[in-house]
Amino acid sequence: MMTISDLSVGYGAGDVLHSVDITAAAGELTVILGANGSGKSTLFRTVSGLIRSSSGRVEFDGEDVTRSRSAAIVRRGLAHCPEGRHLFPRMSVEKNLMLGAYVGRRDRARVRTLLERTYELFPALQDKSHQSAGSLSGGQQQMVAIGRALMSDPKMLILDEPSMGLAPLITQQVFDAIVGINQEGIGVMLAEQNARSALKIATSGYVLAEGRVVLSGAAADLADNPAVQQAYLGV
Amino acid sequence: MTLFIQQLINGLALGGIYCLAAIGLTLVFGVLGFPNLAHGALFMVGGYVTYTLLVDVGLPYVVAIVCAALILAVIGVVFERLIFHPLRHAPHTHHMIATVGVMFFLISLVQEIWGTGFLRMESPFDGRMTVAGAQISTQRIIIVITAMVVLIALTLFLKRSVHGQSIEAIEQDRTGAALVGINANVVSMMTFAVSFALVAISAGLVAPIQLLSPGMGESLSLIVFAIIILGGLGSLPGAIIGGFFIAMAEVMASTYISVGAGQAAVFIVLMAVLAIKPTGIFGTVVQR
Repeated sequence: MMTISDLSVGYGAGDVLHSVDITAAAGELTVILGANGSGKSTLFRTVSGLIRSSSGRVEFDGEDVTRSRSAAIVRRGLAHCPEGRHLFPRMSVEKNLMLGAYVGRRDRARVRTLLERTYELFPALQDKSHQSAGSLSGGQQQMVAIGRALMSDPKMLILDEPSMGLAPLITQQVFDAIVGINQEGIGVMLAEQNARSALKIATSGYVLAEGRVVLSGAAADLADNPAVQQAYLGV
Repeated sequence: MTLFIQQLINGLALGGIYCLAAIGLTLVFGVLGFPNLAHGALFMVGGYVTYTLLVDVGLPYVVAIVCAALILAVIGVVFERLIFHPLRHAPHTHHMIATVGVMFFLISLVQEIWGTGFLRMESPFDGRMTVAGAQISTQRIIIVITAMVVLIALTLFLKRSVHGQSIEAIEQDRTGAALVGINANVVSMMTFAVSFALVAISAGLVAPIQLLSPGMGESLSLIVFAIIILGGLGSLPGAIIGGFFIAMAEVMASTYISVGAGQAAVFIVLMAVLAIKPTGIFGTVVQR
């Protein structure tokens, strides 16, 4: 579904990502582990067209999207739920969600269905649908952000640290929702610092450090790997 | 009492003009993050274009205003592509300097085409109406009505249509807007087009009760900046309420105190509001 090959990204002074290779199969849940500053967000921002790579190639759904604009990438079926959520804080929850369907807005019946699916996935949002997104709690804002990404009817969803700043109980709810989304056949690529929970729900994983892939493999193998255990699982 | 009603309607008419001009300025500020210092000059260009369409081409008044708005909208798109789009990665001071350049360019251009003197545009509605005992010129009634219609249409466009919402989305979160697939270039062009069209309408409306001159944008520019700072930078309701508030203060102070007091009232009100609420009435603290 998504093949990232030899991808390097720099912000001017030196590269932040160094020839990264990552493959995510259709419908799978792939986790990207890494500490702060390891390049997870840069990787995602490049894949979704927010920043340009200095070299390398990103292929999504059989198409080269390395030089595509964000709008074209969303239209192809890759949705990005960014770190820090980036909601429209002074718009209502429902308007945020409806703008998530911006690229597919002409198919009104489909948008209706997608909105219902989002409310089913996050029932808490239904009651708050007319409140401004900025007034919600962190967990609910994260739900709006995931819901908004899902409204574009994606084949694959990339989630950048959805558990950041959330209480453990809320994190669990968000992870349950991610599993639910994945079971509907939507591929998920998840960046997490919370390695234990992430590896539990993932199929395969990659470990990033200082902009390089240092480990990769099936999620179960990674969870058993002594290096991962030491660095991320605190064993 | 008659005098008061007369001045109230004058205030409403002036407020309508100020609102239309201020909304254009606040929209560009909200989306692109810099003040367009050429806004007053565009107001002047809008006035001259309306004049030419009305007097030289001979179009009916309302048609002339609509055409002038369309012409200015096209100029807005051209300016965005030619001047501001190439600067998109530059610091915002560069945009501001560019708008000053645009201002001087437009003033010189108008002096070249229409001359430096005053032009008088006759009101096509030169009658008077009696409202609650007060004599009101029909042109002012037309201004109030047109301004209301445009304000309502604009609010519906911004709040209800998906294009209006994409403007608002970019104002509130650029990254979020890009990720849902909104093209920032298209929104920038649209914002300039709407902003310039609005300032053309306000100029077309005010032209029959003022004289046209290449310097007519300067005083408006100052007042319109005061309005959007008063209302809160980038805020649409702020521009509307600020526009009427400042216009009323100006009209009432010049009627009941002195003409000079009218000019001063604008800035006394501004200072008073900023002393109490430094971000303006509807302003939010934004870090840029």
